[in-house]
Amino acid sequence: MPTSESKAAKRGWQIACLCLLAIFLPALVTSFGYSLTDALGPGAGFFPFWLSLVGAVLSAAILVQVTLAKAAESAADEHAPDRSPALQALGMLVALAAAAALFEPLGYRLTMLPFIAAVLVILGARSPVAIALTALAGSFGVFHVFYHWLKVPLPIGELGL
Amino acid sequence: MDTLAHLMTGLTAALSLQNLTFALIGCMLGTLIGVLPGLGPAAGTAILIPLTFKLDPTGALIMLSAIYYGAMYGGTITSVLINVPGEAASVVTCIDGYQMAKQGRGGTALGIAAIGSFVGGIFATVALVVVAPPLAQVALKFGPPEFFALMLVGLCLITGLGGHSLLAGLAMAVLGLLIAMIGIDPVRGAPRFTFGIPSLYDGLGFIPVVMGLFGVAEILLAIQQPNRQIIRTNLASLLPSREEWRRSAGAIGRGTSIGFFLGLIPGVGAIIPTFVAYVFEKRLSKTPERFGQGAIEGVAAPESANNAYANAAMIPLLTLGIPSSPTIAVLMGAFIINGLTPGPFLFQERPDLVWAVIASFFLGNILLLVLNLPFVGLWARILHLPYPYVCAGTLTFCVIGAYSLQQNVFDIYVMIACGIIGYGMRRIDMPIAPLVLGLILGPFLEKSLRTSLEMSAGDFSIFFTRPLCLTLLVLAAVVLIVSALRLAPRELREAST
Repeated sequence: MPTSESKAAKRGWQIACLCLLAIFLPALVTSFGYSLTDALGPGAGFFPFWLSLVGAVLSAAILVQVTLAKAAESAADEHAPDRSPALQALGMLVALAAAAALFEPLGYRLTMLPFIAAVLVILGARSPVAIALTALAGSFGVFHVFYHWLKVPLPIGELGL
Repeated sequence: MDTLAHLMTGLTAALSLQNLTFALIGCMLGTLIGVLPGLGPAAGTAILIPLTFKLDPTGALIMLSAIYYGAMYGGTITSVLINVPGEAASVVTCIDGYQMAKQGRGGTALGIAAIGSFVGGIFATVALVVVAPPLAQVALKFGPPEFFALMLVGLCLITGLGGHSLLAGLAMAVLGLLIAMIGIDPVRGAPRFTFGIPSLYDGLGFIPVVMGLFGVAEILLAIQQPNRQIIRTNLASLLPSREEWRRSAGAIGRGTSIGFFLGLIPGVGAIIPTFVAYVFEKRLSKTPERFGQGAIEGVAAPESANNAYANAAMIPLLTLGIPSSPTIAVLMGAFIINGLTPGPFLFQERPDLVWAVIASFFLGNILLLVLNLPFVGLWARILHLPYPYVCAGTLTFCVIGAYSLQQNVFDIYVMIACGIIGYGMRRIDMPIAPLVLGLILGPFLEKSLRTSLEMSAGDFSIFFTRPLCLTLLVLAAVVLIVSALRLAPRELREAST
């Protein structure tokens, strides 16, 4: 937790605390809807209620502590982060989300073939042959190993692949 | 005698061709994971769980355990050759291991690391055989209040000794426990925090969450790291000279003892035993100035401690059902997936399985030595694998693992979301271990709390009138107070930050 660290770290912690409060406070309200106690003792809402309450208090305490801490100027604040890795990470996440959306309609093989190729291109792989071979191995090859040998259920899409 | 008979039965099972193959595959995959920088043992074990879905529980757990301690060793190779630890516990090995490699003694560094790891692992496994059955017998006398207090102690230790802010650690543990509440209430059957989404009725899957927090998050972090330079060193000569043997023998013994005893304490984490072993060796040395310049004791001691810790950390899991670290929590998740709950009852209900897994630790350590000494050049070559291909492979396993357990695409989205959260947490150095431990212990903690209160008709004094329970609660409070006041030994705090 930053005490005299960079402004960026301090801002990061403040955002994290607000996110935690955004989880704990609604959970606290929701847990009122479950019974806190019943005839047998503690009810379904007992544990969630106390956890949400304690979590909210802790998050608020960290937020206050972080906000009151002095942030030192650091080199990290002066330089903008390199955009290229951030774009690569974003591209990878988008590809992952798209793969999840197409996973059952297209099936494992037809989804993972372009997904693996896309991830490799996004992360800087340049050899078309290596990309194609890796994508084939990761889609059709891995499917064969998991589905037929290890009997792990992987989806077969509407096209039968 | 009983223990010996059980061990022999376990050894027979572990020596079957099938289980021996699983152990061998596990050791190889584990070492591979350890070798690849950025993929730690927790992520590695989690992403390889799908490989074991259709295996029988004994084979699955033997393979996953082998992956775990294989990964603990594999990290050494990158520490020595590229000055980047493959996993956190190998950070200390970088200090002298890399210097040795620069001096052309990389082979010797890796050789002594393999031998030290072997000695540490075997010693800790022997101790596990001796300690585990009586400890499990004691734990059998625990009632729900004692188990509640024990889990609380485990969570407090992990939060308190984690080295981060105590408040942040506690908040993360509470968040993990709260996430574990999602789904159908196990006692009354009422849905909680499901918001009408059917996929949430079974709760958030542990595996997708862990794959996101460790697998996806580690890839996102790795993208931002520059390429590493692999050092050219002599890997032909693996065995130390007579003088190096003399210097290493004591270091291995002391490192093993430190690793073993710290492995028994939940929350200490893998990095602390290695750091303590290193500092201890440096203080004991008549020539401490050699440390940091390629001292072989600086490799032998932490590597022995690392593997002794890895094996000793199985004791709290197998006897008490308390995972000591995120990686052990993943292993606990694997037990649960296989319909088994680690803890004292497992020794009674499935002695065949427990003893086969324990016996496989002996075989696994021998296999690791066999794999690591002659094939060190091969592992070094894997370091040349371009990172985009490693990322693509890891993501493929993550997608398969997240989906195939419940065959639900929702779990892939959970994994992606947890990956983003885990990345954010790593960026600001927010502790992840308490969250993971809270997540896995949550259902057990709630069940024991509610059963205790049902036993006492809602009277909380049940926790304070049973001597053992009270002692454990006092211990939990002491851990938190010590952490809050920062009274932990300086080395422990430095090592964990």
